[in-house]
Amino acid sequence: MATTSEQLPAFSETQSKIPWYVQDLPLYLKGFGILTVIYIGLRLYQGAFAISSGLDSSEPAFEEYWMRLFYIELSVLAIFVSGVWGYLWISRDRHLDTLDPKEEIRRYFTLTMWISIYTFAVYWAGSYFAEQDNSWHQVAIRDTPFTANHIIEFYFNFPLYVILGGCAWLYARTRLPLYAKGVSLPLTLAVFGPFMILVSVGFNEWGHTFWFREEFFAAPIHWGFVIGVWFALGVGGILLQGVTRLTELLDGLEEAP
Amino acid sequence: MSVNISNRSFRPYTGEKARITRAYDYLILVLALFLFIGAFHLHFALTVGDWDFWVDWKDRQWWPLVTPLMGITFPAAVQAVMWEKFRLPMGATLCVTALLIGTWIARIFAYHYWNYFPINMVLPATMLPGALVLDAILMLSNSLTITAIFGGAAFALLFYPSNWPIIGMFHVPVEYGNAQLSIADLFGFEYIRTGMPEYLRIIERGTLRTYGQYATPLSAFCSALLCTLMYTLWWHIGKWFATVRYLNKI
Repeated sequence: MATTSEQLPAFSETQSKIPWYVQDLPLYLKGFGILTVIYIGLRLYQGAFAISSGLDSSEPAFEEYWMRLFYIELSVLAIFVSGVWGYLWISRDRHLDTLDPKEEIRRYFTLTMWISIYTFAVYWAGSYFAEQDNSWHQVAIRDTPFTANHIIEFYFNFPLYVILGGCAWLYARTRLPLYAKGVSLPLTLAVFGPFMILVSVGFNEWGHTFWFREEFFAAPIHWGFVIGVWFALGVGGILLQGVTRLTELLDGLEEAP
Repeated sequence: MSVNISNRSFRPYTGEKARITRAYDYLILVLALFLFIGAFHLHFALTVGDWDFWVDWKDRQWWPLVTPLMGITFPAAVQAVMWEKFRLPMGATLCVTALLIGTWIARIFAYHYWNYFPINMVLPATMLPGALVLDAILMLSNSLTITAIFGGAAFALLFYPSNWPIIGMFHVPVEYGNAQLSIADLFGFEYIRTGMPEYLRIIERGTLRTYGQYATPLSAFCSALLCTLMYTLWWHIGKWFATVRYLNKI
């Protein structure tokens, strides 16, 4: 997904069946596939081991099945964020002033794919595993902040969508002229606002130090998450910025059959 | 600096340009679907949450008030962009449909298959009829004021009747352990939850049934009034978030 303008001729010579503006479609679909396998795999793991070893954090089995998963998640995320953010920055386009309009169109498509992958991760974090948190804490005593669902929701899903949102932001900043000249406010809101949800975990867990049993989902200690997710509405502004620029670029393009 | 949004007259693209714009549309559709499932669902679960999760929380005082009031937020914000900028009269329906997809997946796989709650106990409410009317009023009136007053009110007033066929059967009274209770309450007592104690369950508060059967329509009308205000507020929040500004630094 990180093509510099110097590589453009190689693209036009490629005999690919995929149209030039969606060259990154296979990577995009692979991204969806990999994420789907990861999330469903984690859910199956919960189904297999949550009841048998995830109910009492003082049990040795909890350490083996859940804390080990927690450490693995953190390691994988640390490697992933270093690799992908580092790659996006190092492979940045240093000649954006000479960017070909067709290549810019292609990069807008790729940016949209990055944002789409980001929203897919937001789905799993904000919808499925979030509601599942309520379900689990209705039947399990909360004797640790690292419960069988928190280990996946708070310490994997939340950081992962933050990382993917950061990828979209970095991609735009390093490969698209308008985003390189100025900092897009809606893109920044849509990425950094939901990032605050991760920070809200601290507030939430502080609140839960007072109650180890009750789970009331609409309680005020959860509203920090709510405010964070409102910022996802910034995607409307990203769409407007993208459509406006694409229209300008398409108007300048020669007609083709 | 701001982006100049072109006001040129409409001229449809043809050939490759048409294919490019259509491909972009499809990408946006996928993006928007997951965005609104994820974002609206999290907002909804953490504000309405318990009233939507459990059949024994679906009361006559709070559920018809809280659900439309929190549920009209994202639809208003998304309508502000989709109608004003793209003339697509489907912002509310899109949001509510996305929410329903997210809640149904969670209720089946997170509640039923993981923790064995019966599906009947965790049926999500629907706001789809209200959302359709909200979109239709905006499309026909092209007016924020008219949509806020009539659409917002309809969104709230339609909520309870549209859900009655789903939950009505659970309000049938039964005698159980020498006490009279509803089927919904019976579900609550049979399936022990940490959120079950009566000091947490916010339903039918107050003295013994001040207005009896009038509690539901009064809650719905109160919600209608608040929804007209909430709709306007969130329309402007939606517009604010859809800014096209670029900053010099953050």
